[in-house]
Amino acid sequence: METAVSVVVDATLITLILALAAFGLAIIYGLVGVINMGHGAFLTLGAYLTWAATTAGVPFVPAVLLAALGVGLVGLALEHLIIRHFYDRPFDTLLLTWAFFLVMTEIIKIVFGTDFRNVASPLAGAIDLGTVKIPIYRATIALVSLALIGGTAFVFYRTTLGIKIRALIQNREVASLLGLDIALMYKLVFGVGACAAGLAGGLISPMLSVDPYIGNVFLVRSFFVVIVGGVGQLLGGTLIGSFFIGGSETLFALFSKQVFAQTVVFLLAIIVLRFRPAGLLRAR
Amino acid sequence: MSSGTKKRTTVVSRRSALKGMAAGTGVVAASMAAPAFIRHLNAAEPIRVGIISPLTGAWTVYGKAHIAGFELAVDEINAAGGVLGRNIELVVGDSKTEPRIVVEQANRLIRQERVDFLAGTFSSAERNAAGPVVKAANKVLLYPTFYEGQEKEYYPGVCNKNIFMFGPEPTQQVWPHMEYMLNKFGKKLFMIGSDYAWPRVTNLVTKRKLDELGGQVVGEVYIPFGTPQYESVLRDIRGSGANIIFHSLTGSDTVNFRQQFAAAGMKDDFTFWTVDDEEVVTTGLGPDVSSGGYVSFDYFMSIKHPNNGPFLERFKKKFGQDALMNTVGVAMYNAAHMAAKAIEKAGEVSTDSLRDALGEITFDGAPQGPVQMRSRDHQIVVPSYLMKVRENWTSVNDMFEEVQSFEAVEPLDARCDLPL
Repeated sequence: METAVSVVVDATLITLILALAAFGLAIIYGLVGVINMGHGAFLTLGAYLTWAATTAGVPFVPAVLLAALGVGLVGLALEHLIIRHFYDRPFDTLLLTWAFFLVMTEIIKIVFGTDFRNVASPLAGAIDLGTVKIPIYRATIALVSLALIGGTAFVFYRTTLGIKIRALIQNREVASLLGLDIALMYKLVFGVGACAAGLAGGLISPMLSVDPYIGNVFLVRSFFVVIVGGVGQLLGGTLIGSFFIGGSETLFALFSKQVFAQTVVFLLAIIVLRFRPAGLLRAR
Repeated sequence: MSSGTKKRTTVVSRRSALKGMAAGTGVVAASMAAPAFIRHLNAAEPIRVGIISPLTGAWTVYGKAHIAGFELAVDEINAAGGVLGRNIELVVGDSKTEPRIVVEQANRLIRQERVDFLAGTFSSAERNAAGPVVKAANKVLLYPTFYEGQEKEYYPGVCNKNIFMFGPEPTQQVWPHMEYMLNKFGKKLFMIGSDYAWPRVTNLVTKRKLDELGGQVVGEVYIPFGTPQYESVLRDIRGSGANIIFHSLTGSDTVNFRQQFAAAGMKDDFTFWTVDDEEVVTTGLGPDVSSGGYVSFDYFMSIKHPNNGPFLERFKKKFGQDALMNTVGVAMYNAAHMAAKAIEKAGEVSTDSLRDALGEITFDGAPQGPVQMRSRDHQIVVPSYLMKVRENWTSVNDMFEEVQSFEAVEPLDARCDLPL
């Protein structure tokens, strides 16, 4: 029973934190179809901007918001200068965003150096539930992740903007014939995606070492989350994908070694994609 | 710093290439007058040393101290008139933290740059990659990192007569402190390490002594590189009944794990003993996460040995007040000085004479206290320190508190066909 409770808690935390990290990618890849290899750099930049702001004396929450804004602006600049010319050539965006990732990582190294940095956890300590101790900060981040996904669901299904975005995904040509400013919508979605990645990077920074490769750790996992969950399945897809890639590892680790658990998870992901190429949530 | 170093070296080599060409034309003109061997008597020709350092890639954080240690020693040697009247010149290769690149760089340094010997590589995987190259080319490699010790099955990465080890191995880094730790905190160990040779063999060697002392391993996990979340491992640790967490994760994984370990409130429930987290990593962890943990190495910036103060003064003068030194940087420093002594003793720079002379060289000026190379297994005799991380430390100067130390710890003989 003890183990059961702690496994459920662990799996939930891992799922929600991974969902947070993958959410920006889910937006950009899922909605505008850009295979954004620069996602890792967005996360890293978000972490570094948060570190820079907190080091300069800004309290943690405004620092994260500033970082998200900063990464959003970088994303907008990238979209405006380069990506928007390549929306109909997804494979080229893969190379372009990969180049962006390399350039951004080098810039981060030049500006911030390569030393390990650390952002002090704003909420230290753990909630003691008798058998299980839940780190307060991780629990908070998990809730933020839920709120972010919930908030996006609201925008998506309850606002005019959401209708426009959904129209865009369903049929770009028809949407533009109906007078939707496609270019603006794309720009907006890309900017929001970058912003979400920056926010995730900032929020994750107190849990991980802030180094120029902090985003890499999440890049491959994020892609798996989005692809397994289903490209374009922003909400359910991200959550299910995150559970599949992150949470289930906890379950496997119960019975096997950590290395083996990770291998099994990725192997299963490949098997899932073999039989459901469009992802778990897209039956086609 | 890395790009600056590389750039400087390129300039040097380009310049020496020009000089070479100029000299070449000169020789053609003069060849009527003097036999070619006279050029070799020209004392100004520098001794070239190839350095392979992780200047980019995952272990860049360690790369700075790594190369800085060697550079500082070379400055000192050259300022004192060089070796046999010749200056030492460095040619730098970036390993990019990848064994594959180490092979490329080692070949380039040996074949194109024509270095006299090599120093560096960082991880055991990098050294094992360089092993076959230095064996085939018959060049000496000076290896600086604390490592798992020499087991015959990893030849030619270890047990290689051309490789000299300047860092401690587990019978020096871990064994001397096990009795103290086990008696004080209990005999049950949970071992967690990165999934490669160094942590696995280090734990294997540690277990040998653990059996002797009546200790017990209650959990042993190896984590793939780049793992962000540790919930399941933390749960295993919590349920294991361990007294001591014996830790050999590396790179950003060590920071990620320890941050989550501290955040889960487990710091007070277990004693933490790391054989990886030196000054650079501990700085990255910050005081909240690292305090109370135990660390063992042959060198720390805060040790009290009389050699250390002046050494750090020279180091900071060259690299800045905030620059960090560590066991690996000091090993590189010692390697340069000891190689210079060996060349001086041998009177020439060939691989055979360097190899013969380097065995049994002692270096009294080592920052951690006198060190000695052993000719039979090329393993260095170094001190061993056990430190505890202070609460609320502010910098490397007050980060560690000495718990116990041993001078000149002899390692067990390397598990090779001896003598090498």
